[in-house]
Amino acid sequence: MKGQLLSANHAAALAATLAARANRTGRGFCSGVYPITPSTECMEFLCAQQIEKGRVVRVESEHSAMGVCIGAAAAGARSFTATASNGLAYMAENCVAAAGLRLPVVMAVANRTMGPPWNIWADHGDALMLRDLGLIQIYCADNQELFDTVLSAFRLAEDQRVLMPAMVCMEGFILSHTVAQTEIPSQEQVDRFLPLTSVPQQLGSTPHSLGQIELPAQTETHRMQHHQAMLAAETVFEEVRGHFADIFGRELQGALVPYRTEDADTLIVSLGTMGLTAQRVVDRARERGEKVGSLRIRMLRPLPVAAIAREFAGKSRIAILDRDISLGFGGVLWGELARLAQAPVVQNYLAGIGGGDVRPEHLERVLADLKGRRQSGTPVNVEAI
Amino acid sequence: MHPLGNSDSTNGVVLPQGTDLPLEIRVHGRGGQGGVTCAKLIAALYARMGLAVQTFGDYGSERSGAPVQAFTRVDRLAITNRNKVYRPDHLLVLDAGLLETPVLAGVAPGALILLNTSGAPADFGARYRGYRLATVDATDIAREQGIGSSSVVIVNTTIVGAYARILGLPLQLLEEVYASFGVPGDLAAARLAHERVRIQEASADGASPENAAPQAPGQAVVAPLTAPAQDFPIELRTGLWSNQSPSYCRYTPPCNAACPAGNDIVGFVQALKEQGPEAAAAILLRTQALPSVCGRVCPAPCMNHCNREAFDGAVNIRSLERWIADNSQVVLPKLAALRPRRVAVVGGGPAGLSAAYQLALRGHGVTIYEAAPALGGVLRYGIPAFRLPLDVLDRDLSRILDLGVKARCGERLGPAELSRLAAEYDSVIVCTGFGAPHQLAVPGEELAGVEQGLPFLDRVKAGSESVSGHVVVVGGGNSAIDCARSALRLGAASVRLVYRRSRQDMPAIDEEIAEAEQEGVRLMTRRQPVRCLGSGRVAALVLAEVEQGAPDASGRCRPVVTERTTELPCDRVLLALGQQDGLEPLLPARWKVDAGRAWSEGQALSVFFAGDCATGEGTVTHAIGNGHRAALRALAALEGEEAEELEGDREAGATQRVVAPAQIRFSHFEPDPPGRDRHLPLNQARAGFQEFNQGLAGPAEAERCFSCGQCTSCDTCLVYCPDGIIYRAQDGYRIDLDHCKGCGMCVAECPRSAMEMKDKALPGGSR
Repeated sequence: MKGQLLSANHAAALAATLAARANRTGRGFCSGVYPITPSTECMEFLCAQQIEKGRVVRVESEHSAMGVCIGAAAAGARSFTATASNGLAYMAENCVAAAGLRLPVVMAVANRTMGPPWNIWADHGDALMLRDLGLIQIYCADNQELFDTVLSAFRLAEDQRVLMPAMVCMEGFILSHTVAQTEIPSQEQVDRFLPLTSVPQQLGSTPHSLGQIELPAQTETHRMQHHQAMLAAETVFEEVRGHFADIFGRELQGALVPYRTEDADTLIVSLGTMGLTAQRVVDRARERGEKVGSLRIRMLRPLPVAAIAREFAGKSRIAILDRDISLGFGGVLWGELARLAQAPVVQNYLAGIGGGDVRPEHLERVLADLKGRRQSGTPVNVEAI
Repeated sequence: MHPLGNSDSTNGVVLPQGTDLPLEIRVHGRGGQGGVTCAKLIAALYARMGLAVQTFGDYGSERSGAPVQAFTRVDRLAITNRNKVYRPDHLLVLDAGLLETPVLAGVAPGALILLNTSGAPADFGARYRGYRLATVDATDIAREQGIGSSSVVIVNTTIVGAYARILGLPLQLLEEVYASFGVPGDLAAARLAHERVRIQEASADGASPENAAPQAPGQAVVAPLTAPAQDFPIELRTGLWSNQSPSYCRYTPPCNAACPAGNDIVGFVQALKEQGPEAAAAILLRTQALPSVCGRVCPAPCMNHCNREAFDGAVNIRSLERWIADNSQVVLPKLAALRPRRVAVVGGGPAGLSAAYQLALRGHGVTIYEAAPALGGVLRYGIPAFRLPLDVLDRDLSRILDLGVKARCGERLGPAELSRLAAEYDSVIVCTGFGAPHQLAVPGEELAGVEQGLPFLDRVKAGSESVSGHVVVVGGGNSAIDCARSALRLGAASVRLVYRRSRQDMPAIDEEIAEAEQEGVRLMTRRQPVRCLGSGRVAALVLAEVEQGAPDASGRCRPVVTERTTELPCDRVLLALGQQDGLEPLLPARWKVDAGRAWSEGQALSVFFAGDCATGEGTVTHAIGNGHRAALRALAALEGEEAEELEGDREAGATQRVVAPAQIRFSHFEPDPPGRDRHLPLNQARAGFQEFNQGLAGPAEAERCFSCGQCTSCDTCLVYCPDGIIYRAQDGYRIDLDHCKGCGMCVAECPRSAMEMKDKALPGGSR
């Protein structure tokens, strides 16, 4: 097994470091950081790196951390930060600003339950809070994928057809703190993969302001432009995957990760590491002769609507897992995807909220429950099946 | 920060035979022991064999001491299992205390268990027979090697040495891994564990441990929502794991340590704050025969040592003592002595009064022999009324006399009388004070108008003195200041005070010097009179300039008199140059004094000496303390015992743990400037002998006391305890040591240094 032993937090920071160095002949790199469990290791690692023409600024809050990133990106530099949970909530206002200003800041989010009551463990609710605000969102399931996705997020976010922040998510502790072998490319390879950062609206010698007040019609136009760029990101991501494979000689996971879905009649749909557990359960079910498949959603924004609809076509039973809950509604992923399915049973299962370990045993129960249903029901918690 | 290793090169070490893949390893430890890094180290070992690894921690909600699990998986191919390890092949337990918890859950027979414990595998009995059980005292090794802190020993790098031995892995592999983790210094500990680990193979009879009922795939119990799955039970005696424990202690406050009279200053100040002047007086009167007096004229070394001085100014202790004395009626009950003694006290000054008071309190019969017409000594005849009104002195005296102390005034004793008293009484305590005053010893001293200050003060007090013209006082002590201020009040045209050293070196109370200056006394420091001029009556004083020489034993610069002189015209010169030792004329011929006791022909007599005649310390408070000690010593000598120690002496002497300013957490206190004494308006003060200092307006100054080293039940410890295991108890607090993880936060936060951390392994620790 090749690769360096790295935690996913460190892998994210190393990807950011390589990307930062790759911009040394351009406008350099600048990052604002502030610690919060479970993303602290990421910013610590970044702070310890020597980056030519680069600066990591330790500030007094997440809000200011993103403020530094906004300033850096507005000045044409490459930028990156990491946070989690209530830190992301505190950063949110400036995340929206970075999005609205169309600045290609890359963020690593170690998904953690929002408090209070305080809880340091995994839950996707923090990132999902920013779902609708103009940031690309990609969810990862293992260390290599996390490293590859952070690196690629720079190319995606900085693409002139996209130009917006990109958030790369990993479940807190479950992934952020897991150490595993990770293949790290050379700087020379990364230099070839990432073009120099270019921000056309960059503040420079000609005085101008960013994000001034707009009239309704102008905002309407800008929103539609942002939306179009977001939709374009799906296609651009496919291009990025192509470049990735050319330069690094291996695959970057796509926007969706289907597993044994072709002939399946039953699907388990999920975000993040639960998808890997689902794949193990699929293998077990297949051994029993059950036609089960797994669809792991990596890219939530833009949502690859057509591709998902194609995966859903012809399936009779679909279980949608959510490590989150939109209170008063149900799982967020379920809310996003249910309308894309024609299946008679599309059932939402809440699993691992607040960081509980979602084991194969839970998903076996999901399958059994799903089999017994004639029609879709309200969301249920897997612990209560 | 570096990656934890690189498994691109495998270094030729292969997986030992008998180890099946995939391999799952679970580590149980407590926050702070390094359990997560332990799992990472193990992962790095396997990664160096070219295997795929995955390792992660499962943290508790507390930072220190909470149970922590960590997991490592090893396989030939990339690992996709994202779950915790429920059925480990190898189990490492870093803290034997965790065996109380279900750490064995899911561990199948034949599995390897490695325990950090001082016990041997055989000590663990039948329950573990089905396992391959190994033990090593990693805590002991790591502590010996200095890994971690005294409160939290980090055992991870040590126990991995034992693990490597069990698996038959070469130490060379450890060396590489420790280097990549940046802990090459821990290799020695790993080597020791590698040597010392004790291994017991799984029993052949295959007794199945009760915990190991393995779960078949797909049959694991998923707990219902009403009872969410718990990795550990709630009841965990986390306190068993700590190496240190906090406790409450009584350090000596610096004021108490500095008080020559042995007063429990923090005790009476806190009592004043909490319970009022009567309760405070009850504490003060245990050691203080003359609180009304000392509350006015004490130089208050306590205030010079007050820790609040380094924050916003010393607590005005002297005036608090005065406030208590002036606002309470308490008298201490007279005890009944087991064997009542008769004691003669020679001299009715502060030392004699203190000795008599302490003896009478203990139920003994005391007679004071005083040469002057009334009791009080220097207090009555040497301190002016504007500092110490006579009615104040009489109030303290009546409290002493009310205990049954007899006073025989107007009886000046000689050697013959002293011998007689020694024969008549069980014990005699001699407190006759200083002898004759020092002379100026310069030409012209005999001129009229040049005289000693003490008789002057005596006449002033008697109301039989008047002053006119220009007055010069020579000296720098309290008597000099008293002479100067008295002269001013009696109508002197001007008063100058000549002193040979600097103002800082003057022995007088600082406030008194300042008050004298305010009233109009002019200080002339670094001047030495070398001649008195005049025909028949003094007309001028010749003053030589004095330079600073090398420091003497007292730390003050030795005065060097120069040839440079000036003439100071004056009409009167008052000398306040201190007094000589005055014991000689009193002692019978064959008596010798040694260490405050009289001896005759090698025989110790029951005659003791106290106060200035014995020590020459020269303050009322020293005299009070010394008189008290002499009384205790005399009683003890009669009983053939060691003298009982004053509480203050015991604390200061035995522990030497006086609270320093650095031990007080100033951040817990609001700045609050010292309560100042009230004074008469200057014109009114100079017009007569009414008491100048009117003291404090109330007892609020007591609130400023830090109560150094003495718990005030302020709840800071309780509030800051992160585990919530400090409880209010009847007389302070109770710490639940079963659950105290020894973090030390309560001790660090205690505002007044009334707590300490103790190593549990040391005497006084709770283990």
